[in-house]
Amino acid sequence: MRRKLTHQSTAVLGLNLRSFAYLDGADATLRNMHLDVHPGSLTVISGHSGSGKSTLGAILAGLLPRHGMDQLVGTVKVDGTEIEFSPSSAPRVDVAQWAKHVGLLPQDAGHYLSGIRGTVAEELAFSLENAGVPREQMHRQVTQLAQRLRLEHLLERNPQQLSGGQERLVALAALAISEPEVLVLDEPLAGLDRQATELVSEMINMLRANGTALVVLADSMQRWAHEADELWELDRGTLQRVSSEKQQRQPESGATQRQPIPADSRVLLNVDSVQLAYPGSTEPVVQDLNLQVRSGECLGLAGANGSGKTTLLKAIAGLLEPSAGTLVTFGQTGMLLQNSSDQLFERTVFREVSFGIPKKSAARKRISEVLAQLGLESFAQTHPYELPASARRLVALATVMIHEPQILLLDEPTEALDEAGESKLRETIAAVLERGGAVILSTHDERFMERVAHRVHLMK
Amino acid sequence: MPRTIKLHPFTILAIAVAVITMTTAASLWWLSCAVMALCLLIAGWAGHLKKLAVLSGAMLLPTFLSLLLIHGLISRDQSPAIAQWGPLRVTIHGLEVALSLGLRTAVLVVVGLLCGLLIDKHQLVAAIDLSPVPPQLGYLLAATLFLLPQMAEKQRQIGEAQTLRHMGTGTGLAGWFQRMRLRAVPLVLASMQDAQDRAVHLSARGFPATGSRTRLRTVPDSSVQRGIRWAALVCAVLGPMLILALAGFGSR
Repeated sequence: MRRKLTHQSTAVLGLNLRSFAYLDGADATLRNMHLDVHPGSLTVISGHSGSGKSTLGAILAGLLPRHGMDQLVGTVKVDGTEIEFSPSSAPRVDVAQWAKHVGLLPQDAGHYLSGIRGTVAEELAFSLENAGVPREQMHRQVTQLAQRLRLEHLLERNPQQLSGGQERLVALAALAISEPEVLVLDEPLAGLDRQATELVSEMINMLRANGTALVVLADSMQRWAHEADELWELDRGTLQRVSSEKQQRQPESGATQRQPIPADSRVLLNVDSVQLAYPGSTEPVVQDLNLQVRSGECLGLAGANGSGKTTLLKAIAGLLEPSAGTLVTFGQTGMLLQNSSDQLFERTVFREVSFGIPKKSAARKRISEVLAQLGLESFAQTHPYELPASARRLVALATVMIHEPQILLLDEPTEALDEAGESKLRETIAAVLERGGAVILSTHDERFMERVAHRVHLMK
Repeated sequence: MPRTIKLHPFTILAIAVAVITMTTAASLWWLSCAVMALCLLIAGWAGHLKKLAVLSGAMLLPTFLSLLLIHGLISRDQSPAIAQWGPLRVTIHGLEVALSLGLRTAVLVVVGLLCGLLIDKHQLVAAIDLSPVPPQLGYLLAATLFLLPQMAEKQRQIGEAQTLRHMGTGTGLAGWFQRMRLRAVPLVLASMQDAQDRAVHLSARGFPATGSRTRLRTVPDSSVQRGIRWAALVCAVLGPMLILALAGFGSR
């Protein structure tokens, strides 16, 4: 059922949700919430991993409920039209039409890009092409948008060869070209280095200044609190307004808990004048690197995207041979990759952690213990793809920890982790250091780096 | 730096089809050799000679060997043998058949590969998008051309992750099969997940278009090229018929 609203309502998007349940979901994922989004406003919705933020974002963007599958009870107001969903009437949503009013930037911005266009300019024009907009008009719109969002330098670049930050900028611009009244941004700053964070934040501010309402979904509201018009917390499937008092109490949970490095600690990693390059590439990624890591030590690797942090971690893990110099490790290494999905292959968490471990080995008996240490025991029989992002990241960590590595290598470990997950990660790092191991981590999360690393090596 | 040919992709494809069908129908060794030499010249001019030679060699060498084995060594034709080792006998006729079939296949392979090297893939997709075929066809081709390299990259990442867990590290043929087996399922699952994640956003961006669609990219065309395409298609259909008819008439 649809009806045109009166002019009294100034909200460009309104949600009055009684319940939302996925197909085959035992319970409602979201319930009893009311949200109005006004032009040019910034609404921040925070919540831990698995709290339903992405589900809420997809509902606002018209991607959920899937017709004939999920069940939504409530109303959504878009472009002055109220759409009512009930068990007896579930209208089929034209997502392309909806996207003209509400756009969604997914957590992995690469998924928003078509992946089949040769230049950024074409990628920006993709939705206009599908709408049959004349070429000259498209060209004009793309040029104007690129000027407005300062993206001219990227227009002729291949979208497949953009960095993570540039990919997010292009996806944001591709969303903005249809000039929707509302943009829903799912973790828009996650995993970006400082420079990319500044660029993406700048673009978000420009869009807001142009009157676009923004709904930001984030694990933590800290980054957004001072500029947000409305702050909400998504907890146990429902929205609660965050009071200014609670907002004040947000900062810094837990202090630095680093143990000092024992004076007689032995060297576990020795990197001497190492040069690293990818096969087939003439340009080295890392040159003349000298590094030593001792037992009980946590070393942080800092540096901009492309400075060779991941390359160095892979070389220490034995995935890449140095093209010059020597790299010696004393003890087994274990590495947590940046993208957890690449590290998960099995159909249950238990099978995942036991992947490649002989049935009668001692490690097999430790699986339950490792799962319990990371708070994953209740997910043992769950498919890893069905877990919230934070738990999935911890499963990937469990697959590393089951081998009890002497040198633990972590590539952007806090990415996708919520507060509870980050706490488990800190405990894991502390446990490795306590048993005489070493940890080397690469992260853009300066706060986390400061809390766990004994020293930071800046990659150039 | 490779040079590009500023012809409409359909023009190149139409000429290629005409050349392949007519050369196959003519079945003249010197014509096949001349076509291949011309292809190599064009590849040399465009800066793709090495690539064309390597790819053609990789495909044609096994083809020639198998044809030689079937027609040249274990042929049952009764023509006089020029060499014999037990049941294996090499005959002039067998060699002629192997060479003739091999050359026809070689034209198909070399011309096809040259097309692949000369045609800009994005121009081809744009040309298909701008033609009246369903938009899904353009996407299907584009996905095949551009998402396959992404799948190869994903496969490499899965391989790295498995190596980190001490799996799929065997050597030799058995190790290769083990790696393939271990990587296949996660690769398919990850690709399906990726396709699902992209699909919702493609729909939100209006794909596939329900009405008329346009492209920002231009694909230069001209009436001369359109004429060439029509002529090439006529040659591709009528040329072989004419050649075969003339051959049949001549043999009588």
